[in-house]
Amino acid sequence: MPGFVIDAQGIEKSFGTLKAVDGVSLQVKTGECFGILGPNGAGKTTTIKMLHGAVQSDAGALRVLGRDVATQSRLIRAQMGVVSQEDTLDRDLTVYENLWVYAGFFSISKKASLSRIEYLIDFMQLREKWDSQIKTLSGGMKRRLHIARALIHEPKFLILDEPTTGLDPQARHLVWQRLRELKAQGLTILLTTHYMEEAAQMCDRIGIMDGGKFLVEGPPQTLVQEKVGDEVYELRGGASEELLDSLQGLPVTTEIVADILYLYSHNGMGVMEHLISCGRKDFLRRPATLEDLFLRLTGRELRD
Amino acid sequence: MLFPQAPSHRAFRVWVRHLVYYRSFYLAEWAGNLGEHILWLVAFGYGLGRLVPSLDGISYAQFIGPGLMVSVAMWNATYESTYGAYSRMRIQNVYESMLMAPLTVGDIVLGDLLWCASRALIGSTLMLIVLSLFGLVGSLWAVAILPILFIEAVMFAALGLIATSLAHSFSFFNFYFSAIVMPMFFFAGTLFPIKGLPLWVERLSEALPLTHAVRIARGLFIYGYVEDFIWHFSFLLGFTFLFLTVACVLVSRRMVE
Repeated sequence: MPGFVIDAQGIEKSFGTLKAVDGVSLQVKTGECFGILGPNGAGKTTTIKMLHGAVQSDAGALRVLGRDVATQSRLIRAQMGVVSQEDTLDRDLTVYENLWVYAGFFSISKKASLSRIEYLIDFMQLREKWDSQIKTLSGGMKRRLHIARALIHEPKFLILDEPTTGLDPQARHLVWQRLRELKAQGLTILLTTHYMEEAAQMCDRIGIMDGGKFLVEGPPQTLVQEKVGDEVYELRGGASEELLDSLQGLPVTTEIVADILYLYSHNGMGVMEHLISCGRKDFLRRPATLEDLFLRLTGRELRD
Repeated sequence: MLFPQAPSHRAFRVWVRHLVYYRSFYLAEWAGNLGEHILWLVAFGYGLGRLVPSLDGISYAQFIGPGLMVSVAMWNATYESTYGAYSRMRIQNVYESMLMAPLTVGDIVLGDLLWCASRALIGSTLMLIVLSLFGLVGSLWAVAILPILFIEAVMFAALGLIATSLAHSFSFFNFYFSAIVMPMFFFAGTLFPIKGLPLWVERLSEALPLTHAVRIARGLFIYGYVEDFIWHFSFLLGFTFLFLTVACVLVSRRMVE
């Protein structure tokens, strides 16, 4: 397994007639941060649950931290931290009790866990909530406590399923800042997110998932460059046939969504001049982003 | 690993989790338990008991005391393994968080059962104290009932956990209590002797696990000796292993997709 924290080969999972994961292959190296992006129902959470053994695969081979998930899940979990999407904090216990009881699940004694808890409480800025009940915590605090709990045993590998969904911008920034620090310390991280720009900054590689499969996979900037281009021009209020015809010879790809015309340009030279010469000055010119890639690949219709 | 969900010593950590929670409310529970035990004994033993002639040479209060104690273990274990466990499994995601740590379904089930039994043992011990204060314990051998009640409680907790893994809402437990637990309580010979009732009632009673716990308790409390102890004890032990295995399988199915 030289250096692979995750080594998945064609894993599949069906629930009844629904194929939630349809042949996913993925390799994540030690120290890498990999982001899974995808619309709701793409299969992200099922893939993550397969990694920690809560969902068993129907087909394919899955090794995590060099071990087979089907038979050695418990040993894998001993070295892995999981932050699930839904709240799984123990509401019957206080903040501190949540941490030391969870440390016990890793066979760490209460005494031995104390210094680690001290460190994590400060790292996640929860000091004043030490003895609080879970129900008194804000959404951001709960998420931070979740992450602290997942780090209690100094895991080699951290999984986070939408760690910032539902948080306000301040709380979200604190979470991402802490994750960057953990990454800098060499922790291998796998996460799912809906925040494209943050994923672009944080992740060494991303995979965009839809219909239970990865559509593309690679470093975010490279993917955007290859699949979308350098720049995007947005023209609101639609475009005439004439304008569309006149774009034929230019190095752009066009996409019309409702009343907006998108021009994806690989080499911006001449596009802006052309638009101006056609009398259009009401356009927005901006760099291509991961969101453009995401929407181009997964489509624009709503997923509920 | 042949059985990846098999239980291990880590079940103790699950038990510790429940104990930590219990610390926050145990005094109120003890007070409630004591009050309830005394109420039952006074209302039935002495209230209703005035109308009942002596049974096999013992008073009605003496007759129902051991039966009530055995029932306390059943009720406690059942509440904790139904309402308590359902809340941990389906509502609060406590089991789910344990399965993200290196615990198996077997660890969680065993830890939960041991916890249910511990709580039931505390409730029964309080009952034993009440009974001895009322002078209803005729033999010191009565203390020997405690380890047997522990096994009985594990058995009823496992049965409760089976119900929990089949439940899709709390209202399922209304059915479980009225179809299983209440008939068990009445037809195990706790409040009235089964002997002399129609034959099919006697046979039904013999098939109920609680009946055998009641027989052991009554023997120990009144005579310090239990007739056919090995038979009654094996019956309890057999059902304990059966329910435990089924509970493990069903909870696994519910927790791992």
